[in-house]
Amino acid sequence: MVINIFLMLIIVFAILSIQSNSLRRAVIYLGILSLVSSFCYLLYGSPDVAIAQAVIGSTLSTILYLVALKKYKLFTIYYVLQNTDTEELDSDNTERKVIDIIESFCFERELEPDVVHTSENLENIEAHYQYDVIVLQKERGICLYGNKENYLLDSLQKHLVKKLGNKLNVSYVQNTV
Amino acid sequence: MNKDSEIISNTVSLLYPFIILFAFYIILNGHITPGGGFQGGALLSAIFITKYMGIPTNDTDLKNFKIIEKIMFIIIMIIPMIFLFNGLNKKFSFLNEYYLILMNILIGIKVCCGLSIIFFRFVFYESR
Repeated sequence: MVINIFLMLIIVFAILSIQSNSLRRAVIYLGILSLVSSFCYLLYGSPDVAIAQAVIGSTLSTILYLVALKKYKLFTIYYVLQNTDTEELDSDNTERKVIDIIESFCFERELEPDVVHTSENLENIEAHYQYDVIVLQKERGICLYGNKENYLLDSLQKHLVKKLGNKLNVSYVQNTV
Repeated sequence: MNKDSEIISNTVSLLYPFIILFAFYIILNGHITPGGGFQGGALLSAIFITKYMGIPTNDTDLKNFKIIEKIMFIIIMIIPMIFLFNGLNKKFSFLNEYYLILMNILIGIKVCCGLSIIFFRFVFYESR
C-alpha cells in the first residue's frame, strides 16, 4: 500500500517537472522525485542503491543543475577604458549608452548583465578572467571581443548596430580560444 | 547561492564534521552494512560542494586531486591482482575483512577526488 502511494508520487513529480513554467522549479521537482524514488528502493529492500540515489540524484545533480542555470543566466561584460584621460573620451556619454543597450539586450534574452569596468590590458583580461564579451572603447567607435563558442555575440552585434545606427563604429573580433 | 550569505556559511561550517563522520562511517562499515566506497566517496565530495556553497572561492588545487585519483586507480588495480590472483584470500582467510575495508577506503578516496574534480571544473572553469 505504502509503496503504491510513493510510486504514484514519482509519476506526479515527473509530470510536474515537465509541466512547470520555470526551469529552476523543474530542477527542484526532479530533486524531490529522486528522493522519493530512493525511498522506494529502500522499501523494495535495497538500501545500498537507495543511499547512492539519495546522494547522487537528489544532491549532486540538483546542485549541478542549479549552478548550470546560474551560469547560463549570467552575462559578464568587461568594459575597457584604455586611455588614461577618460573624461575627455567620455564627453558624449558613449559608455553609458553602450552599456544601456547591452543591458536591454540582456533583458530581452532573460540574462543577468554583470558589467565590470577596468583599465587593464586586453590581453591580461583575456588570459586571466572569465568573460562573455569585452567592449573596448576607442576614439571613434567601440570594438567587441568575444569567444568563438559564444553564440550570443552575433545577435548582440546586430542589436548594437540597430540601436546605435551610424553614430558609432562597431567592429567585432572573434577569438579562436 | 548568494556570494555572502552568512546563514549558509555558518550552517555549513557547523555541518562539516558531521558530514565527514557520516561519510567515514559509511565507508568503514561498507562490508557489513549498506553503503560502501562509492556512496561514502560521494558523501566525502559533498564536503567540497558545501564548501563552495559557503565560501565560493577558487582556492582548491585541482592538480593534486588529479594526481591522487590516478595513484588510487593504479593501487586499486594492483591490490586485487596481488591478493586474489595469488590465492592469498584462501591461504589467509582472516585477511578478507581487512581487504574489503582497504578496498572500500581506496574506492572512496578515488570517487571523492573524481566527483570533486567534476564539480570544481564545472563550477569555476566551464562556461559558454
